[in-house]
Amino acid sequence: MAELTGSQPAGSLTSLLGRESVPTTQKRHRGGWRQAFYWQQLLPALLLIAYGAVVIWSASLNISSANFPRHMMGIVIGLAAALFMRSYDYRALANMSTALLVLDAVLMVMPRIPGLGLSAMGMTGVVRIPIIGFTFQPSEPAKIVTIFLMASLGAQFNGKIENLKDYVRLCAILTVPFLLILVQPDLGTGLIILVTGAAIIIVAGPRPSWVLVTIGLIVGLAALAIVTSMTPGLPHVLKEYQLNRLIVFVDPSVDPGGSGYNLQQAKIAVGSGGLLGKGIGNASQSGTGFLPEAHTDFVFALLAEEFGFVGAAGLLALFAWTIFATISLAQRIEQPFAKLVLTGVVTMWSFQILQEVGMCMGIMPITGIPLPFISFGLTSMVTHCLAIGVVQSVWLHRSKPA
Amino acid sequence: MGRVFVIIICALAALVLLYLVVRNVSHEGRYSMDIGGAAPTAAGGSDNSAETGFKSRLHGLGIFSGTILGVLLARLWSMQLMSSDNYYQQAESNRTRTVTTDAPRGRILDRNGVELVTNRPSLTVVADPSVVDDEVEMQLLANLIGMPYLAVRRKIQDQSAGAQSKRTVAVDVSRRVVAYVEEHTHLFPGVEVVERTERYYPCGSLAAHVLGYTGTITQEQLDWSRDPNNESGITYEEGDIVGQSGVEWQYESVLQGIRGEQIVYVDAYGTVLDHSSSVAPQSGSDVVLTIDANVQQAAEESLERRIKLLHDGGYTACIAGCAVAIDVTNGEVIALASAPTYNPNVFVGGINDDDWNALSSEDGGYPLINRVVSGQYPSASTIKPLGTFAALDYGIASEQTGFYCTGFWTGFGEDYGQYCWDHSGHGAMTLQTGITYSCDVVYYEVGKGFFYSDQPEGLQETYRRWGLGAETGIDLPSEEAGRVPDAEWKWNYWDTAADDVRAWQGGDSTNLAIGQGDLLVTPLQMACAYGGIATRGTIWRPHVLKSVRSATGTGTVIEHSPEISHSVQEDSSYFDLVIRGLEGVIYEESPAQAEHFVNMAETVAGKTGTAERPDQEPTGWFVAFLPVESPKYVVASLIEQGGFGSQSSMYVVRDIMGAIYNEPDTSDAVDTTGAR
Repeated sequence: MAELTGSQPAGSLTSLLGRESVPTTQKRHRGGWRQAFYWQQLLPALLLIAYGAVVIWSASLNISSANFPRHMMGIVIGLAAALFMRSYDYRALANMSTALLVLDAVLMVMPRIPGLGLSAMGMTGVVRIPIIGFTFQPSEPAKIVTIFLMASLGAQFNGKIENLKDYVRLCAILTVPFLLILVQPDLGTGLIILVTGAAIIIVAGPRPSWVLVTIGLIVGLAALAIVTSMTPGLPHVLKEYQLNRLIVFVDPSVDPGGSGYNLQQAKIAVGSGGLLGKGIGNASQSGTGFLPEAHTDFVFALLAEEFGFVGAAGLLALFAWTIFATISLAQRIEQPFAKLVLTGVVTMWSFQILQEVGMCMGIMPITGIPLPFISFGLTSMVTHCLAIGVVQSVWLHRSKPA
Repeated sequence: MGRVFVIIICALAALVLLYLVVRNVSHEGRYSMDIGGAAPTAAGGSDNSAETGFKSRLHGLGIFSGTILGVLLARLWSMQLMSSDNYYQQAESNRTRTVTTDAPRGRILDRNGVELVTNRPSLTVVADPSVVDDEVEMQLLANLIGMPYLAVRRKIQDQSAGAQSKRTVAVDVSRRVVAYVEEHTHLFPGVEVVERTERYYPCGSLAAHVLGYTGTITQEQLDWSRDPNNESGITYEEGDIVGQSGVEWQYESVLQGIRGEQIVYVDAYGTVLDHSSSVAPQSGSDVVLTIDANVQQAAEESLERRIKLLHDGGYTACIAGCAVAIDVTNGEVIALASAPTYNPNVFVGGINDDDWNALSSEDGGYPLINRVVSGQYPSASTIKPLGTFAALDYGIASEQTGFYCTGFWTGFGEDYGQYCWDHSGHGAMTLQTGITYSCDVVYYEVGKGFFYSDQPEGLQETYRRWGLGAETGIDLPSEEAGRVPDAEWKWNYWDTAADDVRAWQGGDSTNLAIGQGDLLVTPLQMACAYGGIATRGTIWRPHVLKSVRSATGTGTVIEHSPEISHSVQEDSSYFDLVIRGLEGVIYEESPAQAEHFVNMAETVAGKTGTAERPDQEPTGWFVAFLPVESPKYVVASLIEQGGFGSQSSMYVVRDIMGAIYNEPDTSDAVDTTGAR
C-alpha cells in the first residue's frame, strides 16, 4: 500500500512534481506555496480558463448574448468555489452516501418544483433562485454530487467487488440520478452522469463479465428505445428532436435546414479555420450568425475557426495535461475513495470534451453539452471549477489519515 | 513552410502526450517501490491484488481519455489541414453575395447617325428587401403608385437580381410620386426613387421590322446563354431584357452591356455587413445600320399610302405589303419596310394583352412579320429575266429566236391550251420583247423547250444559281428560303396522290417559266437577283449592319465588310439583252408607267409582276434598279392582293427611288393597260 502521505512526504512530493530532488526540511517553507496546490493539474486548468475567457471575449464582439462580464463573474465565483472546495476535507463525504443521494435527487428534481423551475428551449432544466433572481442549472453541480455519491459507495469495496448483489446495488443507485435527469428531459447530461458513474463503478472493481453483460444490456435497451421511437404505434421513449439529432448524425443531408444545418455550419467553421485560424473577431461563420450557439454548445467550432489547428490542438493539449495529471494523482493516492472521485472527474471531463468537440466535427450526435472551462455559462463554469477544487482538495488532504 | 510547421507542432504534441503517459507509468513504479518500505496503514485492509487492480484500471482510464483526445486530434487534422480549402470555400460562399446592376443597352443608329433606338431615363421606385416585412409601408406605397398591394409585395419579394439587391417596384413613376416619396422619407424607410433607363424608339414604328423589339428573356434563351459552348460571353439572369427580333435580337451580344457586380459580405440573416470588390456596369456598344432613315421613312409612308389607296379603292383585302432598297455594289440595305407595322415601344416594360392580341391577329395582317425576309410569294413575271438566261444558257432559244403570241398557247395540244395575260396576243416576240411586254407565250415555249430537252431542270438550276430557293444570309432573323420546285420535290410533296399527279408535267415547266404555281420567293431574294443583273453577275450578301461603335470612346470596333454571296456567270450579250428588255419595261411597256420614270435623271430598268392565286385579288410586284449605266440601287416592292404590279408596288418603288435621288414623282398618270 503506497504511503504517499504522512509525516515526511516532502521528498516524494517534489519528485512527484517532476522536479529536482530537494532536501526536504530546509525547503519546506519556501516550497509551501508549491505544495499547497497540485500545479500539474491546476496550471493547465487555469490556462484553459484564461483561454476560454479570450474565446468568449471574442465571441462577445459579435454575439450579443455572449456577455463577457457575466463570463468573468462565472470565473470569479468558480475560482472562489474551487478554493472553498480545496480547503474542505472531501474525505468527510465518504461516509455520507445517503445524504449525497438525497442531495443529488433534490438537485435533479429542483427544476420541476413550481416557482423554481424555468422553461427554456424546451427543457425545464433551469432554476431561478427566488429573491436574488439568479438562474442556474442544478444538473451541473449534480454531476459532482453524483461523482461523490458513486465514489463513496464504490470505495467500500476497497477495489474488489466480490458480490454480484453489491454490484447490482451500485448500478441501481446510479440509475436514480440518471433517470431523474432523463425525464427532465436532458439526454446529454444524462449520458455524462451515466458514463461518469459507470467509470467509477468499473474502477471500483467488479468482475469484467458483469460489466460486459451490463454494457450489453444498456446497448440493447438503447437500441430498443430507438426502434420503438421510430416505429409508429409503439411508445416513443425518445423525443422527436432527440431522434432527429441521431438521424441527422448518421446522415446530415436529410435535414440541411434544421439540425443538419447546425452540424454543417459547425463543420464549415472548424474546417475553414485552417492551420492558423482567421484571427480573433474574424470568424465569419461563428461571428455572423451562420453557426448558432457559437459561444455555448458550439464554442469549439468558434475557437477552431478563430485560432485554427494550432489553437485547437493547443486546447486539446491543455486538456490532456490536466486530465493526465489528475490520473497520475489518482494512481499515487492510496485511498480508494480518492481514486474513485478522481476517476469520476477525469471521466466527466473526457466525455464532455469528446461530446462537445466531436459534435462540432461531426463525429458525435448533437447534444447541448458545454465544453469544460470554455463554454459560456455560469453554472457549467462553477461546476468545473468545483471539480478543480476537488482535485486540489485530494492533493491537500493527502497526508491526513482517512 | 506551413506544412513543416504543422508537422513540428503535431510531433511536439505527440511527444508531450507520450511523456505524460510514460511519466505516469514511471511514477507508478517509484511508488510501488515506496510501498515496500512503508508499513500498511489503517485505511488498508485491501490486499495487493486490489491495489494492482486499481493500477491497471486507472491505466485503462488513461487509455480511455488518451484515445478520446487522439481521435479528436486526428479528426481536427483531417478537417483543418487536409480539407481546409473545401471548407474555406463553403465559408466564403456562405458569407458573400453578388448584387448586380443592369447595364444600358447599346443604341441603334442609322447610317447617318440618326438615333433609331436609344435609352431614356425612367424614374423608378426601388425598395430594400426588408420592406416586405412592413405591411403598412407596402400598403402606403401601393396607394401612392396606384398598384395593387399584392403586386407591390410580389415585386419586393423578387430576388432575381440577387437576394441583397434593391427591388424594382414601379418604373416610369410620375413626378408627383417622386416628390411625395422624397418629402416623406420617414414614411418610406428603405424606399427610394432612382433614375434607371428604359429602351426607347424615338421614331416610333420607323424601321420596326429592322430594329425588332426587346423583352424579358425566355427560358430557351436563358438555357442557351448558360450553355458552356455559348461564345457571346454574356450570362443572363432571369428577368433580363434581351432582343427578341430584328437587329435587337441579331446583335444582342453587341448591344447587351456587361452587368455591374458588387460582392457584399452578409451575415446569416442576409444583412449586408461590408462591401467588397465591385465591377461597374459596362454599357453595350452602339450599332450603326446601313439603313437611311429618310429613305426608310419615304418607303414606309409610300407603302402605307399606296395600300390605303388600294384598300379604299376596292381592294378590301389589301392591307399588307413590303419594300426593300439595297445598294447593289455592296449589299447594304438602305431601306426595309413591311406593312402593316407596329411600334416597338409597346414592348418596353412588358407588353399588355390587348396590344399583344392586336399584334398577333390574322385580321391585323400579322404586323410582326417582316415580309421582306419572311414573306414567300410566287415571283410571277419578275422571274422572266432569269428564265431568259436559262433559255439562252441551255440553248432552248437564242437572241434571234422568234415567237408568236396569239393570246392563247397550245404548245401541249388544244386540250392543254394556256392564255397569255394579254388575251388579244402580243404578235411577234423575241426573248427581249418577251421581257418588256411580259409575254407569257414566249416563256411557255421556254418551259416546253426545257420539258422536252435532255436537261429538263435547267430552269431550276438557273434560278438557284441566281440565289432562289436558298436564304440570302441577311443579318436578320426568321429569313425564309422560298422554294424552287422540281420533279423530286413534287413527287415527295404529293406523296398521297396518284403517280400521274405526282409526276412532273409539262404544265409545271410552263408555270415555272412564268413564275406561277409552286415557285416561292421572298422579296429580298428577288431584289438580290435583280441587283445581280444590274452588276452583271455579282450578288452581294444583303446586310443591315454597317459598323459597331466602341462602347467606350468614339472609335469603331467592327466595320462590316461586304461579302459576295453569288457570282453568276452569264454571257455578256445575254446581260445586254435582259437589261434592254428590263429598260423596255420602264419606258415602252406602258406609256403611263413610263411617265413616272421619264421625270428622273437616272435610267431605270425593272420588271412588273402579278402573282395570281385562286379566289384572291392578285399580288403585285415591282423590282427595278438604277442607274442602268452604272448601277447603284435595286428597289423591290410587293403589295398583297392590291392588283397588278404596275398599279400598286410600282408607285412604292418610284417613291423610294425619288427619296434616294431627291427626285419626287411628279406624274399622276395611271396605267390602264394592265401591264404585268
